[in-house]
Amino acid sequence: MKKYHAIFKINLLNNLAYPAELVTRSALILLFMWIFFQLWSITFTAAGSDNISGLSLHDTMWYLLFAEILELGRPRLARVISEQVKDGSIAYLLNKPYNFLLYQLSSGLGESLPRMGLLFILGGALVWTMAGPPPDLVNWPLALFALAGAWLLHFCINALIGLSAFAVEEVAPLEWIYQKLVFILGGMLVPLDFYPAWLQTIAKSLPFAYMMYGPARLFVRSDLQFFIQIIAGQILWLAMLGSLLGLVFSRGMKRLAINGG
Amino acid sequence: MLRELKFLLSLWKTNLAAAMEYRAAFIFQSIGMILNDAVYFVVWIIFFDRFPSIRGWQLTDMFIVFGISASAFGMAGLLFGNAFNLGDIIVKGRLDYYLSLPRPTLLHVLGSRLAPSSFGDFIYGFISYFGSGQFSMVGLGRFIIGVALATIVFVSFLVLVQSLAFWMGTGGVFTSMAINAIITFAIYPITLFNQTAQVILFLVIPAAFMGAVPARFVKDFSWSTLGLMLLGAAGFLSLAILVFHSGLRRYESGSAIQTEV
Amino acid sequence: MPAIQVTNLNKTFRIKHKTAGLGASVRSLFRPEYKTIEAVRSLSFEMECGELLGFIGPNGAGKSTTIKILTGILFPSGGDVTVLGYVPWKQRQKLAYNIGTVFGQRPQLWYHLPAIDTLTLFGKIYEMEDRETRRRIAELAEAFEITDLLETPVRKLSLGQRMRCEVAASLLHKPKLLLLDEPSIGLDVVAKQHIRDVIREMAKKENVGVLLTSHDAGDLEALCKRVIIINHGQIIYEDKVSTLKRSYLTSKLVEVRYAEQIPADFHIEGTTTLKVAKELYGTKLRFDPRTTPVEKVMAGLSAAGTLVDITISDPPLEEVIAAIYEKGASASHT
Repeated sequence: MKKYHAIFKINLLNNLAYPAELVTRSALILLFMWIFFQLWSITFTAAGSDNISGLSLHDTMWYLLFAEILELGRPRLARVISEQVKDGSIAYLLNKPYNFLLYQLSSGLGESLPRMGLLFILGGALVWTMAGPPPDLVNWPLALFALAGAWLLHFCINALIGLSAFAVEEVAPLEWIYQKLVFILGGMLVPLDFYPAWLQTIAKSLPFAYMMYGPARLFVRSDLQFFIQIIAGQILWLAMLGSLLGLVFSRGMKRLAINGG
Repeated sequence: MLRELKFLLSLWKTNLAAAMEYRAAFIFQSIGMILNDAVYFVVWIIFFDRFPSIRGWQLTDMFIVFGISASAFGMAGLLFGNAFNLGDIIVKGRLDYYLSLPRPTLLHVLGSRLAPSSFGDFIYGFISYFGSGQFSMVGLGRFIIGVALATIVFVSFLVLVQSLAFWMGTGGVFTSMAINAIITFAIYPITLFNQTAQVILFLVIPAAFMGAVPARFVKDFSWSTLGLMLLGAAGFLSLAILVFHSGLRRYESGSAIQTEV
Repeated sequence: MPAIQVTNLNKTFRIKHKTAGLGASVRSLFRPEYKTIEAVRSLSFEMECGELLGFIGPNGAGKSTTIKILTGILFPSGGDVTVLGYVPWKQRQKLAYNIGTVFGQRPQLWYHLPAIDTLTLFGKIYEMEDRETRRRIAELAEAFEITDLLETPVRKLSLGQRMRCEVAASLLHKPKLLLLDEPSIGLDVVAKQHIRDVIREMAKKENVGVLLTSHDAGDLEALCKRVIIINHGQIIYEDKVSTLKRSYLTSKLVEVRYAEQIPADFHIEGTTTLKVAKELYGTKLRFDPRTTPVEKVMAGLSAAGTLVDITISDPPLEEVIAAIYEKGASASHT
């Protein structure tokens, strides 16, 4: 356990020493939040109502912030892992006395945590000035819990995409499509609550809703029943994706052993 | 001028040959990008289904503006692919190669690469226009003109931003931010933005020239719109050439980067 | 008119000096520290048309800087330079039509394509007629023995094969001057030999001047008639290669074997015994022929016993050059 903590810490420090990524993502979240505000304030005015499907402009903005933090804050592991597979350096990493997947998890976390923190502070400051103060503190713990689950789900899918480099030459298209599916079915640009009912049902039967919509919605309006629904969904999908990941990983390792990387 | 055009054509032919060496990857990436763009657009379909008009901006407009931006982005990547890595080329001293050959440096550098997946974007733009419900053959002609001029503005903008590398070393951070910014602003409805913001979108981050203005031209022919597009293209192109060559002077003095002695 | 004329060339770089760490980064943003590097100091030399000139020096000596100035990629802080009658940094495009360059570390050939595609593109770059380009490619392919390799993607070629294609590409447009920077780096002995031979032959056949920079003394010996040794931005030696070897010959190595054992303390006055073989059947010694006559050493060796084997060698050129680097400016020999 100690070694993963060390890996986590070194990635954290690395992030702070080379602030280029932090600066970019921070600028982007300010940009996006500002555009979203233009979009949604006009939309709410045009709709002539303070409340659309149970969400106010204030709620919508904080929802979107939470979603963007997850999107901009998560590590781009798919690319990292696929490159390691393609140039064979994965073999080198496998010779180390730690589990490859846990290594990626810890380093991803080290990269991700400070970034999400900074994004929250900067993005939050902007949204506060535009749409009002953040949601009640009572919402935060449940939302953060769901955030952790969502982060893990993202991790599983990213790792799966990265490992598909064993089979496919270019994983970038897979990455793009996964991201866009999260956009639509995770309610990243438009909260799922605004979707037509039939689409909401579909979305909620797929993992993406639990990767984005769940935590963001909890942040805005916590509700124990809803929380349990989300967590249950996350656990279910984590179990499925996690085992798939394990399977793909061991299959890949066998392949590596045979082909010699 | 004709000489350089002939040279560009042979350069593009060589690029295509290099891309065709990996035919499968090329096709996979192109299709992937079409899917990527299409899936992303679905969010907007969902949005406009619920909220039909944002200060006059409707789904049809979205189709057109997306079309222009995507095709312009694709064309930039197909014909001037190194516009995306110019900063990197500068910093790594790889301009030396182009400088020691008897062809205009900027043109040679930009035209020496075909960015993978850009074919997908290019095609998607047309698909988006076909899907807009406003399609007509004459309109297609205007669409093509719009795309061409938008491409000039986009590539010029990229050159401008990337040329910062002559003075600032690693411009990498800034570049990806700038690209994200211009694309985002280009595809969001321009009606969202107030006067001041719109000025920025014309003069600083020329997203208006990459989306809204050409889209207006496609919907209805107008001399003033055409004039505006030509002005924008000429303006940004001249500025880009100026700034690049100014930076090139600095590069040739040796003070731009850490040179090997 | 000489092909290259350099007079009092100097080049100073002002480079931003930054130490690691966040604090230092912030500080350097507001108050940058500059470090001045004098890469080239008052350099003067000439090269005739069709000449084969070597340009040797350790890392940081100023070789790359000088080459860049000669090709017009860099402009100097002071001094005059003409290459083929052009001022390089002012008439770079015109000069580019007449020179060819091969940088060992920076390939010109497109990696994913067969060499012939790059050659065809180069034909367009240098504005050659298509027919002329094709003819010239065939001619070069034969000379460099790469005819079978032209259609293979460059990434599949061995380094030696790739370098031959690179040099061929640099000669496509019949330049009057060829600048080679580390052309044999990374090549095995056979490939090195091969590429040196073909460069030498082509240079002679087409009357192309060759300016070669290299760390490899073998390149020098094989290709160049004259050599300039540069260090700390200045010329410290300039003469024919043959003279270099002769005048810096400060030691000869002799290795002998005897039929019978020799005394353990065997020594000839005026020589340094490097090694006495374990079983005392032979010895290896070094001496300076300027101070100890060869006759004396030979006499001493034959007197010691029945000679069975003898090897006499000059110090390798590398040693000679290293010695010159060390002596530095004080050993200027013009």
